[in-house]
Amino acid sequence: MNIQVWFRWLYAALWRIFSGGQPIMNLDQSEMKEYFLDFSVALTGFSKFNLLGTGQADLYYSTIEQNIGNELLQELLQTFHNLDLKAKSANDQSILDKGISFDILDSKKFGAIACNIIKLWYVATWYPIPQTGQDSNSQKPFIVSPQAYPEGLLWSAIGVNPPAAKAPGYGTWSEKPSVTLS
Amino acid sequence: MTSSQENDLIQSVDDLHFYLKQAMMIEHATIPPYMTALYSIKPGSNIEAFQIIRSVAVEEMLHLVLAANVYNAVGGDIRNTLSSDEFIPKYPTTLPTGETDFKVGLGKFSPETIDTFLSIERSKEVDEGQPIVGPRPSQNNLLAVRDANPQYSFYSIGLFYAEIIRGLYALYQEMGDDLFCGDPQRQITPEYYYDGAGDIIKVTDLTSAIRALTMIQEQGEGSVIGTIYDAERLLSHYYRFDQLKRGQYYIVDQDNPSNSDQPNQPTGDTFAVDWDAVYPIKENPKLSDYSGEPELHSAAQEFQSAYSDFLTKIEYAFDGHPETLLPAVGGMFKLKYQAERLIKNPIPGRDGMNAAPIYRLD
Amino acid sequence: MSQSQTTLKSVDCETVSKTFYDVVIVGAGVAGSIVAKQLSEQGKTVLILEAGTGKSLTLEGFQSHVETFYGAVDKNPNAPYPLNPNALSPTDGANGYFEEKGPLPLSGSYTRVLGGTTMHWEGKTIRMLPEDFELRTRYGHGLDWPISYKDIQPYYRKAEYEIGVSGNTEEQKGLGVTFMDGYVLPMLELPPSYLDQKVSEKIHGTTVEIEGETIKLDLSTFPQGRNSIPNPDYKKYNDGDDFIPQGVGSVEPVEYGERCQGNANCVPICPVQAKYDARKTLNRIAFPERVHILPQAVAYKVEVDPANGRVTAIHYKRYQDKNSPEHTLGIAKGTLFVLATNAVENAKLMLASELPSTSGLMGCHLMDHPFLLAWALMPEVTGTMRGPLVTSGISTFRKGAFRKKQSAFAVDIHNDGWGWSGTGATDVVRDAVDNKHKYGAELRQELISKISRQLLLAFMCELPADPSNRVTIDAQYKDQLGNYRPVIHFDVADYCKNTFAYARKLSQTIFQRLGAEDHTKYDKRDQDGNLDPAYFEYQGESYWFRGGNHFSGTHVMGTTKNNSVVDQNLRSWDHENLYLVGAGSMPSIGSSNTTLTLAALSFKSSEQMLRDLKS
Repeated sequence: MNIQVWFRWLYAALWRIFSGGQPIMNLDQSEMKEYFLDFSVALTGFSKFNLLGTGQADLYYSTIEQNIGNELLQELLQTFHNLDLKAKSANDQSILDKGISFDILDSKKFGAIACNIIKLWYVATWYPIPQTGQDSNSQKPFIVSPQAYPEGLLWSAIGVNPPAAKAPGYGTWSEKPSVTLS
Repeated sequence: MTSSQENDLIQSVDDLHFYLKQAMMIEHATIPPYMTALYSIKPGSNIEAFQIIRSVAVEEMLHLVLAANVYNAVGGDIRNTLSSDEFIPKYPTTLPTGETDFKVGLGKFSPETIDTFLSIERSKEVDEGQPIVGPRPSQNNLLAVRDANPQYSFYSIGLFYAEIIRGLYALYQEMGDDLFCGDPQRQITPEYYYDGAGDIIKVTDLTSAIRALTMIQEQGEGSVIGTIYDAERLLSHYYRFDQLKRGQYYIVDQDNPSNSDQPNQPTGDTFAVDWDAVYPIKENPKLSDYSGEPELHSAAQEFQSAYSDFLTKIEYAFDGHPETLLPAVGGMFKLKYQAERLIKNPIPGRDGMNAAPIYRLD
Repeated sequence: MSQSQTTLKSVDCETVSKTFYDVVIVGAGVAGSIVAKQLSEQGKTVLILEAGTGKSLTLEGFQSHVETFYGAVDKNPNAPYPLNPNALSPTDGANGYFEEKGPLPLSGSYTRVLGGTTMHWEGKTIRMLPEDFELRTRYGHGLDWPISYKDIQPYYRKAEYEIGVSGNTEEQKGLGVTFMDGYVLPMLELPPSYLDQKVSEKIHGTTVEIEGETIKLDLSTFPQGRNSIPNPDYKKYNDGDDFIPQGVGSVEPVEYGERCQGNANCVPICPVQAKYDARKTLNRIAFPERVHILPQAVAYKVEVDPANGRVTAIHYKRYQDKNSPEHTLGIAKGTLFVLATNAVENAKLMLASELPSTSGLMGCHLMDHPFLLAWALMPEVTGTMRGPLVTSGISTFRKGAFRKKQSAFAVDIHNDGWGWSGTGATDVVRDAVDNKHKYGAELRQELISKISRQLLLAFMCELPADPSNRVTIDAQYKDQLGNYRPVIHFDVADYCKNTFAYARKLSQTIFQRLGAEDHTKYDKRDQDGNLDPAYFEYQGESYWFRGGNHFSGTHVMGTTKNNSVVDQNLRSWDHENLYLVGAGSMPSIGSSNTTLTLAALSFKSSEQMLRDLKS
């Protein structure tokens, strides 16, 4: 058993212990993707329509799955989903906000992955994560597909076109910026 | 030209204005279908097809501007033309381009769509002395024939322009230079518009008006009978689309056009067309197709209103503010990205069918 | 949108070996393309040997460059052009192509593909000032030219037509450039960015002192080889016709021809081809059957008849696969020979052929424009990262008596933010997410705050010719084809360092006026702890500079065979049928990007070649 697989097994075992012995829910693919999109909406600050409008959701999902493994991804998405449900049933958005900050972004297990998911959406790049067992020395960041690059949310977030794509038209650079600081 | 009086449809400046407005409608009518097909192509694939459709679409834009220039030159009032509700057709719609009835709709890039595009651009070899062809029953035609039986229509766009040119000559005979009473400041000139589509023509007199109309007429259809190129020695729209069906370029010899390829016998480089690298979009979508999906619904609505807004701004540019055309074109770039987002969004519960932009509210 | 018949065709080695050309050109960049066009139009037969792959001539090939760029994590100046170990392109030290011997690095980049470095150039096309041609006489630095501004003026006009320059001659006149009466550039200037406007509002009219002179801090636009709106007044200089902007970079079948669309990516590739590159010149060659192109052919030796010094052939290595060193040898013969590979490669090829020239100056006088950068955050959102990379700058320091003490410079306002200083937009994302754990709406605000307010000033400084700054070769440094890699000796003189020090202070004054937060810091080491080779200390302050890619001076022109390598028509003094074109022939480069001037010289040189071919 190589060390990566062993770590994953360990995660799964610990999860069972700490989640009160419940087995990992076996989510089906479409549920996982649904959770993934909801999670991405919360992380990125972009609507589901805008995320799907990039045409990259499936590719990003499979990139994450391939790089961290299905089990860990399921666990992360389940964690998010539970927070989401809690927040919704209590009708209290702050439960979700705090949960994302403390239980996910600050968590040793999920933090780097969640950050990677944000960066994937924002700059279409996957960065190696040391603690998932990926050998960070041999791994380099990569752009998941040339066509994903222009879909990075970074550019919409700051109201510009991705350099070399989606040109805004002659002279538009003289106009007032479309983004503001609140 | 010896057509009988009853066939002369343009008898007054008023008639001429009416026909030029119709011309702008025709030129615009093909833009949404071309744009929809174009944006359904998955990014990075079908680069040749993308460029070919795009090249035709930008020429249609040029034609719209040329028609507006002629209209302005003969003193037309452009207000409430492009901004009118009726300017955008209800797709699918029929176009008067041939004997066979066919409808032009909004659909993805596909062999069937290209067939429709070929039909749009098909040229008709018709005796030049017969600009108007006899009654042809048709319904829901875009081109109404003024003060005539509404069921009459033209065989081709080329013939429609032939009638405008005839009318222009006839009115010029009567009125002389008074016909061109429009303010030259209203013209869209090259500093406000240029592209790979050919030259914009400033229209101030009979010669320039005829040049502009002839350019529209000839760019659209293979005007040189039996050849693949138009009067500018460029491949005609019909044969541009024909290349997509064949996956091969035609070669036009610009120095000696008679050495160009023969119709249906291209000899240029071949290229691949991947009909599958296309988003499966809803054909001729309506706003009601998105009911129950608030994000899609509002995105489609936003697109439609941005599109109307774009046409309104173009109209404003034509209405004596040519300097506003450039920023308006910036709006067209935004429309593209809005359309692409719709096209990439699946309509939930529609089994893998994606959304598509709507241009006109039902 | 069809396939055009007027397409340059690539030929094979066999055709080349069987043909005796009027002129054999090495390098399909801007200089080689202009010579090929000018000579073929006069009925001459031309061969162009190109070291890179000829991919970019087709739409598919061009598009593949755009895709390669999209897919590159490191979006460096050569990111669109796949690494070619048989014809390496220096890329800011990344692939170790230059053997840098210091003390400071030349750094910078050029591109060995069809179209040359104009494929990735930014596109500024600024004329040199009349006094730049007399740097030695007037200011006691560097070298004088053997010709004056007046001599080159008509060729500037040809170059401006060929490249398709957008710009404002009235503004340029105010900065000291002279034009013939009434002359305008083919297209109007590109509109200044919103960022330019915000900078201008606050600093307009401010004056500063330099060596006792008072200079105004006014913004002006830069002339650029980029399509904007044709200038109706240009008709006079175009046989009464409107200027038609060229957009067709790829032959067949793109019919772009558009004006700049604001892709914000002039360097390293303009996806809509609104920016000039040498393919536009190649594609406009009226008699394509007279011009042969042999791609993947790396010239390695200039063969000379020892009896009379005349060049008899160019020897080249032809590879099939860029990743394999396997190659065949070939020879190209003709009446005239033109080296148009760029300043570094021209000198390298001559030295590799053991032709150091009578003056011994081959490879010496290597010049560039070192850039000092300064960066800050504007007090308000300026929407940075929009528009052509640079639209305006401060060009009021291009002239003045201060040039006796410190070098001239021009200031760019970078519309693309801090990328060049090492903090690109992507780095800001990584910092916000990884270090600050920002997400959702807060993340979006953080990015607007940290990117959309960015201002980068780039001070492009003149560096006069110095014989010890040079390109040499050494048998221990070769590439996989067995060709020499350039060995670079380079330093920045105090004359130029004085300008760095002045520029840094000037940037502080400007930032103060703007109410901008200064973030400039010249670190000795990068984030990974690697020493920055361009770091140095001067008068107690730390600095680093960045290479300007304006390599020049390596086969300098002059008045005799003893003080220079070529004459005023770029003809080698030692080899009467050999021309060394490009910026390598320039004795000084002032504060002007080199392409426009080298293009002008290529027109001048072509005229002499035609005279040679007549006799």
